[in-house]
Amino acid sequence: MSVAIDAKFVDELVTQHGHGPEALIPVLQAIQDRYHYLPAEVLTHLSDVTAITPAAITGVSTFYQQFRHRPAGEHRIRVCHGTACHVKGSQQVEDAIRRHLNIADDEDTDPSMKFTVERVACVGCCSLAPVVQVDDATYGHLTYREAPAAVDDFVGGHHGEHGIHIDDAIHAEAELAANGKTPHVGEVHVSLDTCCLTSRADRVYRALRQSTKKLHLPVRVKRVGCMGLCQHGPTVAVTTGEGQRATYVGLGDESVDEVLWRHFQPRNLTQRVRRTAAHWLDRLLIGPVEDPLHAASAARRDPITVGIEPRQVRIASEHYGRLDPLDLDEYIASGGFEGLRKALESNDSEAVITTVEQSGLRGRGGGGFPSGIKWRRVHEASGDRKYVICNGDEGDPGAFMDRTLAESFPYRVLEGMMIAAYAVGADEGVFYVRHEYPLAVRRLRRAIETCENAGWLGDNIQGSGFSFKSRLVEGAGAFICGEETALIASIEGQRGVPRLRPPYPAQSGLWGQPTLVNNVETLANVPWIVRHGAEAYSAIGTETSKGTKVFALAGKVRRSGLIEIPLGMTLRQIVDELGGGVPGGKALKAVQIGGPSGGCIPATLADTPVDYEALKQIGAIMGSGGLIVLDEDDCMVDIARYFLQFTQTESCGKCTFCRIGTRRMLEILTRLCEGKASRRDLDELETLARQVAAASICGLGRTAPNPVLTTLKYFRHEYEAHLQGRCPSGKCQSLIKYEVNDRCIGCTLCAQHCPTDAIGMTPLFRHVIDDATCIRCDVCRQVCPAEAISVH
Amino acid sequence: MPRVTIDNQAVEVPEGATILDAAKQLGIEIPTLCHLDGCRPNASCMVCVVRINGRADLSPSCATPVVDGMVIESETEAVHEARRTALELLLSDHSGDCLAPCVNGCPAHMDISSMNRLIAADDLRGAIEVVKADIPLPATLGRICPAPCEPSCRRAAVGGSVAICKLKQYVADQDLETDAAYVPTCEPHCGKSVAVVGAGPSGLSAAYFLLRAGVDVDVFDRNTLPGGALRYEIPPERLPRDVLNGEIDVIRRMGARFHADEALGAEISLEQLQLAYDAVVIATGGVDTDLLGHMGLETTRQGLRINPESFGTNLEGVFAAGGAVRPSKLAIRSIAEGKAVAGCVVQYLEGKDIQRPDEVGFNVRLGKLTAEQLTGWFESASREARHEPENPVQGLDAEAAREEAMRCLHCECGAQEDCRLREQAAKYQANPKRFSGGIGRPVSLRVEHPFVLYEPGKCIACGLCVQIAERDREALGLTFVGRGFNVHIDAPSGARLDEALRVKAQECAEACPTGALSLRAGVAISEPR
Repeated sequence: MSVAIDAKFVDELVTQHGHGPEALIPVLQAIQDRYHYLPAEVLTHLSDVTAITPAAITGVSTFYQQFRHRPAGEHRIRVCHGTACHVKGSQQVEDAIRRHLNIADDEDTDPSMKFTVERVACVGCCSLAPVVQVDDATYGHLTYREAPAAVDDFVGGHHGEHGIHIDDAIHAEAELAANGKTPHVGEVHVSLDTCCLTSRADRVYRALRQSTKKLHLPVRVKRVGCMGLCQHGPTVAVTTGEGQRATYVGLGDESVDEVLWRHFQPRNLTQRVRRTAAHWLDRLLIGPVEDPLHAASAARRDPITVGIEPRQVRIASEHYGRLDPLDLDEYIASGGFEGLRKALESNDSEAVITTVEQSGLRGRGGGGFPSGIKWRRVHEASGDRKYVICNGDEGDPGAFMDRTLAESFPYRVLEGMMIAAYAVGADEGVFYVRHEYPLAVRRLRRAIETCENAGWLGDNIQGSGFSFKSRLVEGAGAFICGEETALIASIEGQRGVPRLRPPYPAQSGLWGQPTLVNNVETLANVPWIVRHGAEAYSAIGTETSKGTKVFALAGKVRRSGLIEIPLGMTLRQIVDELGGGVPGGKALKAVQIGGPSGGCIPATLADTPVDYEALKQIGAIMGSGGLIVLDEDDCMVDIARYFLQFTQTESCGKCTFCRIGTRRMLEILTRLCEGKASRRDLDELETLARQVAAASICGLGRTAPNPVLTTLKYFRHEYEAHLQGRCPSGKCQSLIKYEVNDRCIGCTLCAQHCPTDAIGMTPLFRHVIDDATCIRCDVCRQVCPAEAISVH
Repeated sequence: MPRVTIDNQAVEVPEGATILDAAKQLGIEIPTLCHLDGCRPNASCMVCVVRINGRADLSPSCATPVVDGMVIESETEAVHEARRTALELLLSDHSGDCLAPCVNGCPAHMDISSMNRLIAADDLRGAIEVVKADIPLPATLGRICPAPCEPSCRRAAVGGSVAICKLKQYVADQDLETDAAYVPTCEPHCGKSVAVVGAGPSGLSAAYFLLRAGVDVDVFDRNTLPGGALRYEIPPERLPRDVLNGEIDVIRRMGARFHADEALGAEISLEQLQLAYDAVVIATGGVDTDLLGHMGLETTRQGLRINPESFGTNLEGVFAAGGAVRPSKLAIRSIAEGKAVAGCVVQYLEGKDIQRPDEVGFNVRLGKLTAEQLTGWFESASREARHEPENPVQGLDAEAAREEAMRCLHCECGAQEDCRLREQAAKYQANPKRFSGGIGRPVSLRVEHPFVLYEPGKCIACGLCVQIAERDREALGLTFVGRGFNVHIDAPSGARLDEALRVKAQECAEACPTGALSLRAGVAISEPR
């Protein structure tokens, strides 16, 4: 297919981004945005008008998953296969969508070129698993039955403009009317982060704005960041003049009037209406409830949701759920930039480094390297100039801490970066954020712009003599770019391939200059530490693990979401007290911590404290903060295979052990899941896992075997069962069989829903499943009203 | 200057040196594939790993700068095991044949592809030299050999396998018909002499290869004329005697002295031979084990007992091969054994530890390939079907032979002799089947470049060619395409290889650690050097 080249479009992009190699990725992203793929003719023109070689264009555009070279459908459906989505059936969801759209097995686009279905590693909405994105619109909590409906909903235009555009509206409005700065008697906080927007919190926000206007209520409706109740959005908190605060989850836009009536007193409202409303609203109300009137009813509802907040310590997520993410004045009024001001006023970068050293802060991206030492190395390194990079390439499936922090507290992350820059002597900072996080990208960009306009970025910041500028680079779909040397290569416009360290970026990083790379959460801790001092921070935590850690809690827990806990808390406390335990009366089997680099900790070791050393001792790692809870239905061999599949897909392909070794491991695991593995395979799996861990070049390869090694260590009996062709959890499709038992009432529901007609319609008689046609999609079991489908 | 210790040997190296440099200085040979002096370290193949300061993990020595006081392990079992695994992983994703399947099928492992190439080029003198490097009696075998080389020929599915045996016969017949038949040049006389007992295929072959190595040879046979079973069991209609005589005459002209009507245990005794010669080779064909037993030789039920590694019998300096060890109807096998025993005897005469010569070396093999996979190999081969001679005894005529030779796909690896992967795999005794059963690179041959062939299936993605092309300002050059397990190397934006490599193709092919990029055999290189 030939495309008429819009030469002017490409030329403008080049003018905007530059002629050099570092412009390549942003230019490719813009080309893809326009054409939905990268037409060859356009790429040829690009190399003609820039200094970028055809070799670089081909190399880079085939490395990153975001780019495609074949025409795509009009709309893009991205099926998330993150850990939480995987354990909640993302494969069935994808299969259902592909069947619905008639997409052949070896294709990704439907025959009418309307939809292209892609697999994505993780969109970071794990609390809403399984998740599917259709263009900008995100659909959560899908099942194989609802997924096709979500696509139809999108086609029907019911979804409307996607939620992330709400920011533009708020911004435009704020400039016009300075929303909320007028006197008011109370505030309604609507969490407008990605999770809540997926639950259409933007509609609730708009409805609240309309209603307050309509009812003439002097109430400020405010956009806020994440409240941590990610599973049950939209989340709305009402704060009244008397300081009472009530939080609602799962609130629909149709209920906003009742909420307003309940807490505020419109002149024309009868007592009766208010009382009726109050009654059923209690069901949406959850703790912490500071209003004694409602505490009793909330406690009656679900004791597990009460009292969770006191167990958390908010540092990176300080003022969570109360700050407008982009209101600079509000940020400053609540202590923002105090840390930076203090650092600048001290006029002693050495002292700032000492503070960070003494605080005991360690890298929160997973490595756990002492941040102060890293800072000092950059400080002491010599170079023409120095850089600070904020690593926001949170690629672990099952992790969304950094996304949420960036969306909710962009100024805090920026302030952390500025303090770090001052301490190490850098004058330029780069945020590297995954393109899968559009809201985080937008908010950080807007925060940078606002700070530039307000004199918090640029030359001679606030008259201090310190100059610093910052920009944001979007990743293009490569987990490996979370590795710091690969990340730097990506910013420079190359394939995201790690290189051997030393030299470390502290000596030779971006453009060969000393570079500090810290992740989002690490930087988000810095302002607090500088503001309150090292001692206040190191008072929290354990001997070697100080402060707090933000976790994305997901999987088989009743309440998943974002939490920030003091280090040293045990995994069991997290699962039971913060997560509310495993739902459905099932037993906790394991906690997967640290994503594809981490391990599966069995329930018997759930009393292990969250501490870098303690976790390492049992074969796991702290990781970046993904915590996936697994129950008795989860097969540990399948989980190991899932993570190996992930690392295999994400390996850059540079070194032998990772490129080929992880593939051979995956092949053995696949044989295990299909019941075709031999004992020799199992021995080889373990031997190879140890060699891949020892001899890969970078962290990805060195930690990729962890999920295998920990499951082998703690769940070897499950591997043994698979050797005998059994999957004890009934998860591995090749090893299970669906049958109709004698509870069948002949209702035909299963036959109606079976996607492959494996069940004949026999009304009033016991149905039969043809095993050869059955694809083990589990649909029949889920629709059966009589529990008449058994899995063997 | 930093001082480091490798395998308990200390060395001082210049600032900035790598562990590999330090090892070189100590004479410790660390294997490398993706490393090339003058290129940035790729740190990709990982066969150069070493252990530093007793740490659990391993580091690539090519890219790790030394730090003063480092203690490094290189030649330890754990390090070797990791290197072996790296090689085995690479081999599991290295889709290619080292040797052409026909060479694997031929017991004498004759270089069939080169023979075919020379016949096609009308260089029959070159062709007979190639043939006689492994087979002393090719005209004879051309008429009687069941051609175990042919069934595995990659052309078998398209017009039938190449008529290898008949081509060999053609080359040899043509040679015998000339006035100056090819007589191999022998090494200068080494001053040693060997008695070969038996003038059948294995004895003649042993004599021939001993003579080539500069050894004096006397051949004893109980019959009046040499040839053994070839003469006394195969009828002259199948094997004309002038052909057999002609080939034996070449051996005579090389210096062999034939002693007729002298049977071992009758006219001559083993003791006599042992006294008179530096070594004895028993190649008598089927033997009387009782008789040999009386001479002090150990026997099995089938024949003489030998050490399979050296062909040595229990008696010092007495060797045996061919039917004397194990009855065989396959003349080509006897000939191959004759060559092997000659190799062992030469080592014995030189006072070395005897190791049976390894004709094929380390070898990876592909299974059956489809015509589609073989497309690239067909590009320069004749499309015609197999030529059969009207009269098998007379063989192919010149035109048919040339056309038949042009049917050869030359599917052997172009880098057989200088493949670093093969060399290290042999050295580390890597098992190419350790990770069998998985997916490997797709097999194909790209022939668009005038003098370089590209077999992506053999690529180990080390990136040396990408670097060389980039460094030397190839206009297009090469690039990595894709990532992870599917990463491969190609010209950018779908260009052809001849467009991508205009000035550095030869250097890229020479740098390639495998046969992924190789120089076309017999094609002139036309680029600025």
